[in-house]
Amino acid sequence: MKVLKSLLVVLTLALMSFGANAQTQNKNEQTVKIKTSAVCDMCKTTLEKAMAYEKGVKASSLDVDSKVLTVVFDSRKTNVDNLRKAVNETGYDADDKPASERAYKRLDDCCKKGAH
Amino acid sequence: MDVIPVKLKGSFRAILILYFLTILPATAQQLTGRVVDQTNTNLPLIGANVVWKGTAKGTSTDVLGNFALSTADALTPEIIVSYIGYKPDTVNVSGKSNVVIQLTPTSKLQEVVVEGQQARYSSLTPTNSQVITTRDLEKSACCNLAESFETNASVEVSTTDAVSGAKQIQMLGLDGSYTLLTTDNIPALRGLATPYRLNYLSGTFIESIDIIKGTGSVLNGYESISGQVNVMLKDPEKAERLYFNLYGNSLAKFDANLNLATSVGKKWNTILMLHTNHLGNRVDRNNDGFMDLPLGTQYNVFNKWKYSHNDVVSEFGINALRETRVGGQMEYNEKVPQSEQPYYGTNSETERAMAYNKSSYTFPGKPYQSIGLITSLAHHKFDSSYGLRDYDGEQNSGSARLIFQSILGHTGHTYKAGLSYNYDNYSETFSDSTFGRTEHVPGAFVEYIYNNTKNLTLVAGSRVDFHNLYGTVFTPRLNVKFDATPNTIFRVAAGKGFRVANPIAENSAILVSSRTIKATEELKPEQAWNLGGSFTHYFELDGRPGTFVTDYYYTTFTNQVVLDMYTNPSQALFYNLDGRSFSKSFQTEIQYEVLKGLDIKAAYKFFDVKTTYNGQLIQKPMIPQHRFFVNLGFATPFDKWRADLTGQYFGMMPLASIEQASTANDMRESDRFYTFNAQVSRAFKRWEVYVGGENLLNYKQPNPVIGADQPFGPNFDASMVWGPITGRVLYAGLRFTLD
Repeated sequence: MKVLKSLLVVLTLALMSFGANAQTQNKNEQTVKIKTSAVCDMCKTTLEKAMAYEKGVKASSLDVDSKVLTVVFDSRKTNVDNLRKAVNETGYDADDKPASERAYKRLDDCCKKGAH
Repeated sequence: MDVIPVKLKGSFRAILILYFLTILPATAQQLTGRVVDQTNTNLPLIGANVVWKGTAKGTSTDVLGNFALSTADALTPEIIVSYIGYKPDTVNVSGKSNVVIQLTPTSKLQEVVVEGQQARYSSLTPTNSQVITTRDLEKSACCNLAESFETNASVEVSTTDAVSGAKQIQMLGLDGSYTLLTTDNIPALRGLATPYRLNYLSGTFIESIDIIKGTGSVLNGYESISGQVNVMLKDPEKAERLYFNLYGNSLAKFDANLNLATSVGKKWNTILMLHTNHLGNRVDRNNDGFMDLPLGTQYNVFNKWKYSHNDVVSEFGINALRETRVGGQMEYNEKVPQSEQPYYGTNSETERAMAYNKSSYTFPGKPYQSIGLITSLAHHKFDSSYGLRDYDGEQNSGSARLIFQSILGHTGHTYKAGLSYNYDNYSETFSDSTFGRTEHVPGAFVEYIYNNTKNLTLVAGSRVDFHNLYGTVFTPRLNVKFDATPNTIFRVAAGKGFRVANPIAENSAILVSSRTIKATEELKPEQAWNLGGSFTHYFELDGRPGTFVTDYYYTTFTNQVVLDMYTNPSQALFYNLDGRSFSKSFQTEIQYEVLKGLDIKAAYKFFDVKTTYNGQLIQKPMIPQHRFFVNLGFATPFDKWRADLTGQYFGMMPLASIEQASTANDMRESDRFYTFNAQVSRAFKRWEVYVGGENLLNYKQPNPVIGADQPFGPNFDASMVWGPITGRVLYAGLRFTLD
C-alpha cells in the first residue's frame, strides 16, 4: 500500500505541474527565429528536446528545410543569447555563433554538416 | 451526403471521378534513385538500405545501386539511406522523382555493427537481434548488468542460490554459460568469472546491449550455443563529459558511479568510468536465520581510449575490479575461521584485471575493405569459502584476432576472413584437490555474406580451431534473412557450438549445500547444435507503430556436462551426457504504442528443457514451462516524466529436492508466482531523479534454504532457489549529466 500511495503522490504532482504550465500567462511571451546548422529530422528531435529542457522555453520548432528554429520563450526567465548558447551546446551553429566543438563531435554522423 | 441537393449529386460524382483520375497517378508515383560511393561515384553501393523516414517501409539497392520506392508509403518527404561502412544519410526528396545519393565512407571500427535505429527488434540484421538502449537501461534499477535485462523478455535473470546472491542469465531456457557475453564485441568474463559476471559491469558503463538469439557469427569464436549478449560500452567520443549516478535502496545498499570523458588533443578521446557498491546491512526478512542478500563491497574502474585519424581507428581499454562478499547466517562472523564458529558463512574475494585493444585500418578509396586486429588479456583470481568448503581459482587468458573484410566483385558479396589465437590457463583448488589446464587454441575462420539486393541476406560462416587438449573443432554456422515484404521478415539460424565447461565455477550454487560434489568420469567438452527461426512483422495501427515477433529454437547436445541432483539426494554428480539433452524454446512478443507516449510490450514464453539423468530423460530443474511478461512504459513529451511497470508470471518449476528425492518421481514442484517492478523518473536539464520498487507484491519463496536450522547437517541445501528471496525492495536515485 505504501508503494501505491507514493505512486499516487508522484502522479498528483505530475498532474499539478501540467496544470501549472497551462495556466501561465502569455504577457511575457516572445518569439525568436534562430538560423541553425541542423540538417535532418534527427537534428530536429535533438534540438527540440534540448530546447524543451531550457529554462523559460515554452515551445520550439525546427523547420528542417530552412534550418530555422522558432522558439517561444518567457522573457522574464531567459533571453535570446541564452537560447543561442543552448543551441551551440547541443552541437549546432546559432545565427553567427558556432557550435561547441565537443557537442558537435557527439552528434550522430547524419546530423553533421558534411553529411548532406 | 444528405446535405447535397439531389440535382448536384450527379455533378458531384463527376467531380469525384475527376479528382480520383488526377490523384491516382500521383499515389502510384515512385521515387527512383541510385546510391553510390562519394569518393568514387562510379561505384554503385549494392544492397544499401533505403527507407522512408519514420516508417519501416523501404527497399535495398540492386546490383547497379538502383532503387525504387512507392511515394504512397512516405510519412515525411525524407528517406534514410544506410550501408555498412558508410555514414547513414537522411535525404529530403520532396518534389523529386529521381535522386542520386552519395554516401561518405566512415572510419568506424568495421567489425562492429552499429545499430542506430530506435526499433528494439532490428529489421536490418541477419540474426534475430534486439537492442536495449540507454533509454531502456534507465528504466530499471541501478546498477549492474543483471538489472539491465529487467524490462526485456528474451533474457531471464535468476538467482543461483540463497546465500551467495549470484545472478545468472538464461536464454532459450539454457544456463548463462551457454550464452556468449561480449563487451564491444570482444568475448569477456569467460570461464571462472562466469558465476558473478553480471555484477562486474555497471549499468553506467553501458551505452546499449545487443541480444542475439540463436547461433550468431563465427567471428567471436565457437563458444556461443544459445545466443550472444553484446554490451556496447560508452564511446569516449560521444559520452557525456560528466555523468554521476547515485542509488540507494530500502535494504541500505548503495551504488555510486562517476563517468568522466574528455578529448586529449585532436586525435584522442578518453573516458574514465568508476563504480562502487556497498551493502553493509544484514537483512533477514524471511526469518530463516540467513541473510537474504550477501554483504558486499565492490570497486570497479574502467578506462577507455579511442584514437581516430584518417583511416585508422584504435580503441584501448583497461578494467580493474575488486570485490568482497560475505553471506550466510546472520550471526556469522567473517573474521573468525569457519572451523572455530558454529555459524555458517560464505566468503569471497575477487580480483580482476583486463586490457584490450581494437584497431582497424580502412583502405583508402575502398571503404568496404578493412583490416582489424583485436587483442585482449585478462587475469581473474578469487578465494572463496562456503561453510567448510574452500574454493579458489585463477584464470589467465590472452587472445588475438585478425579480421580482413572485403568484397567479391561487388558489394552484394562481402566476406570476412581471419585468424585467431586463444590462450587460457586455469587453476582451481577445491577442498583439498587442485586441478587445472592450459588451453592453446589457434584457429581460422571465414564468413561470406550474400545480399541479393532485394530481400535476401545469407551469412554462411565456419571456423576450424586446433585445440591442444581436444583436437580439431569445426564450427559451421548459417544465418538467413528473407524479407517477404519490407515489413514481414523471416529468419533462420543454424549452427554448432563447442565449449569446455568449468563445472564448479558454473554451478557455484551446489557449493552452498551439504551435497558431496563428485565427477564420476573424466569430463569432455560440451557440443551442441542449435536450429531456430523467427518471424517479425512491423505494423501500423492508428498511425502508431508496433512489432510482432515470434520465434522457436531447438538446441540439442551431442555432449554435455550434466549436473545430476536427482539420482542421489546427498550428492551432486557431474558426468558426460549419455542419452539426449535438449531445449525447445518458443516465444511470442508484441510491442505497440497504445496511446501517444504509452508503449506496451507483452510476451509469452514456453520452455521444454530436458536432460538424461542416469538413464532417464526428465525436465531440467528450476525452469518454468510457462512465463508471461508485460511491460508498460509511459513518457511525456521529451521524456520529462517517465513511468514504467513490468509484470512477470512464472509457471510451476520442477525441483530436485534434497529431502525426499530418492527417485526422480518424488521431486517437488515450485509455486506459481507473479512479480511486479515499477519506476518513475523526472528529468530536468542536467538532473534526473528516479524512484522505484522491485517485487512490489512482496512475494517471497518459502524456505529458500532447506535445512536452514542445521547448516552443517546432512539436509542443508540453499541451491534450490526459484523465486525472490528479499521481498519488496524500494529504491531512489539521481543522475547528473554535463554534456
